[in-house]
Amino acid sequence: MEDAEMGDGSPKHFDRKQAVYQNLDERYVIHGERYRGQQYSQIYFTRLHHMRNLLNSLVPKWKPHLPVHTILGLEEGKECIIIGTMYKHMKLKSSILDEYSKERSTVPLVKPHNFMHPDDHLILEDESGRVKLAGTFLAPSVYVTGIVVALHGKETSDGDFFVQDVLEAGLPPQIEQPLDLREDKHVVFISGLSVGSSMFNPLQFQLLVDHITGHLGDENEQSIASQIVRVVIAGNSVQISQGILSGQTLAPKDQSRLTEPIKEFDISLIQLAAAMPVDIMPGPSDPANFSLPQQPLHRCLFPGASVYNTFLSCTNPHQFELDDVLFLGTSGQNIDDLSKYSDAKDKLEFMERTLKWRHLAPTAPNTLGCYPYTDKDPFLIESCPHVYFVGNQDKYETRLLQGPEKQLLRLICIPRFCETGVAVVLNLRTLECHALSISTKLDS
Amino acid sequence: MASAGGIRGFYREKKKGGVTKPSPKPYSTADPACSPVLKSAHVQGQEKEAEERLREFDMDMRYGPCLGLTRTERWNRAAVMGLNPSPDVEAILLKCSSSAALECLWEGRV
Repeated sequence: MEDAEMGDGSPKHFDRKQAVYQNLDERYVIHGERYRGQQYSQIYFTRLHHMRNLLNSLVPKWKPHLPVHTILGLEEGKECIIIGTMYKHMKLKSSILDEYSKERSTVPLVKPHNFMHPDDHLILEDESGRVKLAGTFLAPSVYVTGIVVALHGKETSDGDFFVQDVLEAGLPPQIEQPLDLREDKHVVFISGLSVGSSMFNPLQFQLLVDHITGHLGDENEQSIASQIVRVVIAGNSVQISQGILSGQTLAPKDQSRLTEPIKEFDISLIQLAAAMPVDIMPGPSDPANFSLPQQPLHRCLFPGASVYNTFLSCTNPHQFELDDVLFLGTSGQNIDDLSKYSDAKDKLEFMERTLKWRHLAPTAPNTLGCYPYTDKDPFLIESCPHVYFVGNQDKYETRLLQGPEKQLLRLICIPRFCETGVAVVLNLRTLECHALSISTKLDS
Repeated sequence: MASAGGIRGFYREKKKGGVTKPSPKPYSTADPACSPVLKSAHVQGQEKEAEERLREFDMDMRYGPCLGLTRTERWNRAAVMGLNPSPDVEAILLKCSSSAALECLWEGRV
């Protein structure tokens, strides 16, 4: 409940709105999985199997008159359809073997941020074999290793496959939201707080916390704040300086530097958790495991905030339902990896592609760390979310996407708060989105 | 303070009773409890056949790679995925007494 001082001195109570929450992180939690030395071939097999079943059901509507072949069953000159996993051969992609090669002339000393090269080419692979893709229909800069597609074309005389058309799985079906006259409820997304880094501004973060919890502003401000039903913190909440993490034993005076950022963050989390439900996701710089899916941050890290039942530590990727609105999001690793190995006009386009390929992180496990599952691929997107968010991006971007089967979804890029001071506020009823900008500069 | 030779004489080293033989190779088709001599040729032939059948199952590309999974797990995974693995392989795996035959062909060798 928030209080507001009115002119006559009697406080006006605003009750914070509530929404029905359902956590759907079960598929990303790793429990009972025992690593038995298996390799990543297992996860690629399950991915190919599921996607192939899906594409097989879509192929008859796409090109009903063409047969579907395995790659080994290709006949020269005969038009057909093949389904397989795509592999992009990249000249500049760093390989562990480069360290051992005797001639180092082609490898640049400075690693580029983007590993694309005009000579990159695509290969399609299934259990029977692989074939190089020829022709100009597919632009290698758009695709990455790990996506499963169906291709229409024919084998050429030099053993390549000349591509004439491509079929991607497309946006998954969406469960329609019941249209009822609900009241306005908001969800706040923050990411990249980086408590403990040199860029962290405590005043800026405190202002944000005060604003969201309703301790700032007049009645109008507070009534808006009372409509916030949930806060989602999408990764990189703390940053511990690399010098301490070198692996050497720390002197007692340095040990406090290891825990200070987390303790400071916990104090702010207590204020948030006391006011409303909070979902916290791990990110690349948080004390969680490295490979996806990142497991929830342990509750012992937050002795203050974990006491509240409004505090929820979540996995990365994170999936949940709020008043029947399906949310899906990550802390940014999947999209950042895509931008290293492919090209798009903006980050939202990468997000759209992952939905069309129906896979959250197609570059996992090739270039993105991933758990070697044997019987499932949890990153396959089965149901289209209504809100798809990605944290730790350079700037705030958003788009409303409409799919061919009446899917409607909101794409959100959440910027790093420590750099931009921007949090994102989403209206649950209308799926409208706006930026909440906090500035501590007095002269702007 | 006593001389080294004297100490050794004082505390005699005693060998433990018998040197333990190394356990039989982990990969073995025969039941270790049963000595091979007592088995009839017919039973041995059957076991060889069963092992052949299991190896075929391992190498079948339709059910995915076999490394890193026990055969039972791979069979169950294939069943859940709707790939219709043959039930006689399941029967062999359920009857199987030696734990070695439950692991895939390359387990421990690669």
